[in-house]
Amino acid sequence: MAKPLIEVEQIDKVFNLAGGGQYIALKGIDLQIKKGEFVSLIGHSGCGKSTLLNMVAGLDLPSEGIVTIEGQRITKPGPDRMVVFQNYSLLPWRTVRENIALAVDSVMKGLPLGERKAIIESHIDLVGLRHAVDKYPAQLSGGMKQRVAIARALALRPKLLLLDEPFGALDALTRGNLQEQLMKICQDNQISALMVTHDVDEAVLLSDRIVMLTNGPESKIGQILDVDIPRPRQRMQVVEHPSYYRLRSEMIYFLNQQKLIKKMRAKKNKVIARHGLEKINLELGFVPLTACAPLAVAKELGFFEKHGLDEVHLVRESSWRGISDGIAGGYLDAAQMPSGMPLWMTLGGDDTKPVTVITSLTMTRNGNAITLARRFYDQGIYTLADFKKMLLQSPGQQHRMGVVHPSSMHNLLLRYWLASGGIDPDHDVELLTIPPAQMVVDLQGGTIDGFCVGEPWNLRAMMEDVGLTVATDLEIWPGHPGKVLGVREDWAATYPNTHIALVKALLEASAYCADPENADEIRQILAQRTYLGTRAEYIQLADPNDAACNLDQPMRQYAHHQFFGEGVNRPSRTEQLWHMVQMARWGHTPFPRNWVEILERLCAVGAFSTAARELGLSEISYSRSAIQLFDGTKFDTEDPIGYLNNLKIKRDFTVTEIVLDTPRFKVA
Amino acid sequence: MTSTAKRRTNGNSFADNLGEFWKKNSQNIILPLIGTLAFLAVWQLLSLSGITRLPGPLSVITNEQTRILLMYPFYDRGGLDKGLFWQTLASLGRVAQGYSIAAIVGISVGILVGTNPIIDKALDPLFQFLRMVAPLAWVPIALVAFQQNQPAAIFVIFITSVWPILINTKEGVKQIPDDYNNVARVLQLSRKEYYLNILFPSALPYIFTGLRIAVGLAWLAIIAAEIVMSGIVGIGFFIWDAYQQNYISDILLAVVYIGAVGLLLDRGIGYVQQLIVPGERK
Repeated sequence: MAKPLIEVEQIDKVFNLAGGGQYIALKGIDLQIKKGEFVSLIGHSGCGKSTLLNMVAGLDLPSEGIVTIEGQRITKPGPDRMVVFQNYSLLPWRTVRENIALAVDSVMKGLPLGERKAIIESHIDLVGLRHAVDKYPAQLSGGMKQRVAIARALALRPKLLLLDEPFGALDALTRGNLQEQLMKICQDNQISALMVTHDVDEAVLLSDRIVMLTNGPESKIGQILDVDIPRPRQRMQVVEHPSYYRLRSEMIYFLNQQKLIKKMRAKKNKVIARHGLEKINLELGFVPLTACAPLAVAKELGFFEKHGLDEVHLVRESSWRGISDGIAGGYLDAAQMPSGMPLWMTLGGDDTKPVTVITSLTMTRNGNAITLARRFYDQGIYTLADFKKMLLQSPGQQHRMGVVHPSSMHNLLLRYWLASGGIDPDHDVELLTIPPAQMVVDLQGGTIDGFCVGEPWNLRAMMEDVGLTVATDLEIWPGHPGKVLGVREDWAATYPNTHIALVKALLEASAYCADPENADEIRQILAQRTYLGTRAEYIQLADPNDAACNLDQPMRQYAHHQFFGEGVNRPSRTEQLWHMVQMARWGHTPFPRNWVEILERLCAVGAFSTAARELGLSEISYSRSAIQLFDGTKFDTEDPIGYLNNLKIKRDFTVTEIVLDTPRFKVA
Repeated sequence: MTSTAKRRTNGNSFADNLGEFWKKNSQNIILPLIGTLAFLAVWQLLSLSGITRLPGPLSVITNEQTRILLMYPFYDRGGLDKGLFWQTLASLGRVAQGYSIAAIVGISVGILVGTNPIIDKALDPLFQFLRMVAPLAWVPIALVAFQQNQPAAIFVIFITSVWPILINTKEGVKQIPDDYNNVARVLQLSRKEYYLNILFPSALPYIFTGLRIAVGLAWLAIIAAEIVMSGIVGIGFFIWDAYQQNYISDILLAVVYIGAVGLLLDRGIGYVQQLIVPGERK
């Protein structure tokens, strides 16, 4: 691979404050820009994105770390990194031509006069300012001024073009035109660029990669998005690309999350201890799904208060990403999680930073299904085999399916289901991560062809005639774990009694949910705006819903949620091992050589047992039987690596020793 | 459209133009005229009534000696006995010399101080202190230092008018927007290129403000300086001399000259400023 054009290595930037203190603006920034690449920096005001740009420009120097261009350390500004400033920075006493000429004449002293003239004139034409060539900046509109600034920058043939919110001060129409012009110029001339912006759409339109910075102080790179929209791009057509809204919502999610964290930081996080519990003010995260019933019931019917947790606040997140970030960031105490998430977070799945998360309660089982768009049904596709045939017949077409999170059962089950039918879930189809509530809309809009998600969304897709359920839990793995309670290990160590009280409250609520007598009441609770915000008909608990079963295939039985019962709630190491194997199979996490130790840490059976005993439910056991799915393969808990090796469709998995950090005790 | 409009303006007679002009500006002309005349009338009445011994404005014409001065500004009988034009010109000559030195020193030191924060810190208190010293206080110092009237007078003008130029230039250099400096840094302009293309044009409006204030001060200072320095040709000493001989109406006439010249100087610099620093940019 060619050496990157720009390398930013471990940069810190510290400003000395007037009062004598220090402000750490940037911390540990690593970034590389390849030749010909267009990279955007996005983040909230004051996150240090302009500071970073200035350091690449050389206008500012890092306090620690280095920036290099083609291997040379950057110590001062230079015309090879020409900057287009936000406020144009044209010299008002010079005309358009004179402004460009100043740059060209002073930088390209070696060239003969005629050649310099030609460069100046060609760049005036490039940005279409021939008619205004002798005007002063004061006589130009904002858009024209910025075009002069761009022409001035490009005329110097910079190795890297630096743009500091170049279109920030322009009206929407001008901005759009200029974006297209800039895009075309960059494309035609193979220009590498680094742009600071706060406009999400602009970033998607122009960039190859989008670098998102977290809020200061100590801003760092939160996430880097690759924009896979092919070039040349058109402003109007980019919107129609399937990745567009995913990228956009990813960015908006990130920015909102940053705002939230800022708010959380500002809020004084006081720990209130009462009733012999270490902490009774809890923030519990959930995603609006039928499976959140135990949390909703515990909150609405006072199970939390009953166990001394007086101030429980339910935080509604629209995606599982929000839950994992909230737990990792420490502003959620505990959360409802997909069953694989504690493991995924502990192992640092998909290159995230590992955070040891444990589970002490399985809150629901079942309640998921695989739905395909209605048009497949109309084409006569009712089964996995039909689906595969269809895929084979349309090789040119990219089929996309939605899942909610890499660690969720939906992802793992859908992949398992596809793979058992000989479909490679990464090569033959494309799996997209989409928040649950967006699935039906995306299915309707045609950006995905099917999904695997928890209720009420399968039911709703069916009742709205958008999609058809082709497989339910009953046909894949009846009674599989759905959602679990997850907390950080250090949180559980700091608040052990609170942890047990929380398990008790939720276990009781689960028992309440499992009683068919209460089904109607719970449906009413869940239908409220605070929870699902949907019609009660879409929410199905224990009673068989006619609508679900009647549509076209009356024989199909629905896999009801299981909230409570024999072998339902106790965290199971066997099941977690299955998750571990499946996530390694698809390359989400490495397979830990010390898997026994990790499973031991992950399943907080002790907390569950104590809670169950104190509730007088000591007889709750768990099933020790082996896991068997629809395809008949037995899952061997003795030899998971052998099992992995025997699978036909899988990614290259790695086996490594994973060292968990020793649990830290927070000083409360 | 344009051709008909042009024809119409061409067809207008001079009288029509004048009428038009009068219609637009009558208020601007009549009101100041009334005000001035009223002031002069009140003054004349006051001196007629004997409340003040100051002669009225009419004395400029009624007094014979003053009338000669008024009518023949160009006469020259040698020595100090010269018409008011020559007296004024001599003063203006001194101002020109002192002011030029002040402009050169003020602008260059201003740029030096403006671009160099350390020197600025070191010298700023001194500048602020010296700025406050009245022109008259410099006269004895200048006389002691130079021993002669002419260089002493030029020095007093210089020292009075240099401060506004210096301080404004310094401020202008400091106020150069970071953007322009960043452009210079990215383009790696040489020092000379930077001064010519960025610093000087950017600070020019400030420098001119300083020059304009300074020219007024210089003119004020020369009168003060000349009054003290006996035996030189100049409008300041002319006033002092007239006072000694009790030619009060001569003084009144000289004051009119001073006011008029001061006004012309200020407007003159303003005009140059408008030529060099067009108002439309920015």
